[in-house]
Amino acid sequence: MHIAPRGLSRRDALKLAGAAGLAGIVTAYPGRRAFAASAPPLDLAVERTRITIDGETSDAIAIGGSIPAPTLRWREGDEVVVRVTNRLDEPTSIHWHGLLIQGVMDGAPGFNGFQPIMPGQTYTYRFKLRQAGTYWYHSHSAAQEQEGMYGAIVIEPADRDPVRADRDYVVLLSDHTPEAPEAVLRKLKVSEGYYNDNKRTLMDFFRDAGRDGLGATLRDRLDWGEMRMDATDLADVTGYRFLVNGKGPGDNWTALFKPGERVRLRIVNGSAMTIFDVRIPGLPMTVVAADGQNVVPVKVDEFRFGVGETYDVIVMPTGDKPFTFFAEPIDRTGFARATIATRQGMEGVIPERRPRAVLTMADMGMAHGGMDHGSMPGMNHGSMAGMDHGKMPGMNHGSMTGGSAAGREQAVGWADAGTPPGARALSYADLKSFSKTRDLRAPAHEIEVRLTGMMSRYIWTLNGEKFDEGAPIRVAYGDRVRIRFVNTTMMAHPMHLHGMFVELENGQTDRMPKKHVVLVPPGQTASVQLTADEPGEWPFHCHLLYHMASGMMTRFIVEPKTASL
Amino acid sequence: MRLHTRTLSTVAALITGASLLAAPAAAFAAPGEAGHQHGTAAIGEPAKATAKTRTVQITMGDNYYEPNSVQVKAGETVRFVVTNKGEFLHEFNIGTAAMHAAHQKEMAVMMEHGMLTPTGINKEMANMDHSRMPGMEGTSMTHDDPNSVLIEPGKARELTWKFTKNAALEFACNIPGHYESGMVGKVDVQR
Repeated sequence: MHIAPRGLSRRDALKLAGAAGLAGIVTAYPGRRAFAASAPPLDLAVERTRITIDGETSDAIAIGGSIPAPTLRWREGDEVVVRVTNRLDEPTSIHWHGLLIQGVMDGAPGFNGFQPIMPGQTYTYRFKLRQAGTYWYHSHSAAQEQEGMYGAIVIEPADRDPVRADRDYVVLLSDHTPEAPEAVLRKLKVSEGYYNDNKRTLMDFFRDAGRDGLGATLRDRLDWGEMRMDATDLADVTGYRFLVNGKGPGDNWTALFKPGERVRLRIVNGSAMTIFDVRIPGLPMTVVAADGQNVVPVKVDEFRFGVGETYDVIVMPTGDKPFTFFAEPIDRTGFARATIATRQGMEGVIPERRPRAVLTMADMGMAHGGMDHGSMPGMNHGSMAGMDHGKMPGMNHGSMTGGSAAGREQAVGWADAGTPPGARALSYADLKSFSKTRDLRAPAHEIEVRLTGMMSRYIWTLNGEKFDEGAPIRVAYGDRVRIRFVNTTMMAHPMHLHGMFVELENGQTDRMPKKHVVLVPPGQTASVQLTADEPGEWPFHCHLLYHMASGMMTRFIVEPKTASL
Repeated sequence: MRLHTRTLSTVAALITGASLLAAPAAAFAAPGEAGHQHGTAAIGEPAKATAKTRTVQITMGDNYYEPNSVQVKAGETVRFVVTNKGEFLHEFNIGTAAMHAAHQKEMAVMMEHGMLTPTGINKEMANMDHSRMPGMEGTSMTHDDPNSVLIEPGKARELTWKFTKNAALEFACNIPGHYESGMVGKVDVQR
């Protein structure tokens, strides 16, 4: 039990912690009175365990005895001490995702002098909390994150919280596979399409030809062929179970409310590989924070959720009835589900599943615009134009045109979440920082980061180079810089920088939203600014676990200014 | 997308600088209000500041009120002096939860149309003749909105209200997202 609705006393919290076998692990409740000047030391053991999801048990790794790991409820300004003991037979680490922190305490092995925690060892993290909001923590070693090493962090603000809620829940999404992560990566390397069982069929081909014309369809297919990618490759790995707070759709994790209450959901995407579309049919969500940072509240019906991101939303359910929290991975291979209800045991309707998007050339950024397929031997598109598709068996063009978004069977392009007409999906452009941008200097220089990959060999890179094969990024302490992400691949990459927030260039001028993860859509560019005010050598990587593991990472070095400057 | 007259008129009142208190009471009973779903009769009525039995100071922040509850007696006339110390535009609106819910929809439309921004009022937009806008025909800017004041950052405004009945009332800010964030207070009307 790691959720602590408001109103829970410290004694209750301790009782709960004790009941969960977490004695000594303080799940401090966020009420003001409950906080001492500083939180007492916290002991977290990392150990192998088993997890049961919807009745099926498989191997996993737990931090602090549970999956997800206990929610750490702290207060801004507190100095916290966390002793992490490694009871695995392999090295481990814990990274505090989104926290502004001294480099060595950031917990990424190989950076800032942090060494992995070896088997049997205890490492003592010690840091002062310089921020408030919803964050999370996870392993930064091997693929342990995939195996269950993730938990939420909730930091109460030192000042008044601009958001008031009657209930406060962490909703941590994750993906779980019974396969060992090493086996997953091995299979991806052998055959990139291994997990893609939605390969397009001949009938898909006819349907596209009917819609787009045969020439366009052939050209499209040729491009995909050249990329050696599949147009249905929205995600690399399938076979996942999608979890809410460690529970499967059947387990049905439930958050309770009384009608008319304000319920704050602190939603964390702690998946290894899964980008979700999140909605609660019948219940609009007012987004009040993104990546832990307060934003001007914006009411939406759904949002796309990159790996590593967090959104805090307020919902105001009325009536004595259940609502279904529904998160579909963008490749639509399943769903995570939870229930927001007035009592345990209630179940809402499982909403109709959304169509899976087929990627288009636009998702490749038209990077191949210069290619001339017409010159390819054997290709003469012109001669195909005369074909009478109407006579093809099984083709009924009339039924293929348009159609309403609701209940349609196809979504086109990465950005198409299948949002029904009238519903509002959050876009990055909607995010507006609650506090004013502090550093309004124009960026001193621009850093281009190309997101690159050779999917056929499952090598993912930044600027065409694997981690530590290319040059690191260097910026001078205090500089304001722009980072421009150019995604040359046909997958979205949630790009995560440790140590500092980046500020999204999303059209805002003096209220640019702060993020620690920026989801860069396929074939698109995105730009951010940051003030390099945290000296150190920070990991900068794609937060898709297997992309990072295969090389999509670099060092972002903030160098002290020398006297000669 | 039908905008209620009173929302627009609140903006109008602000723009012309007309104090709500100074507005003639007769305007509140203007014809056209009759068709409104949310007449204010059930929640009380506006009053002149001079009729007050006491004054309550309320501070607005982002996004909250301080204090966030007020106790009144049925029949009491209270002069609210509301100061916006935040960075965003806020509203002080007395009504039932249902009235606020309806008003939030109007506010959202005004925000989308650019008449309101998170930090203020777009005077150019708000001065336009909205009565000719599609979906807004028949509305005019001559009414006033007796139970609400919009207050820009750094400004203070007043609203004097006579609480006539024992009703479940809230004072609320219906700028999009603010009510949901908890910018609402309870008016405890006692006999």
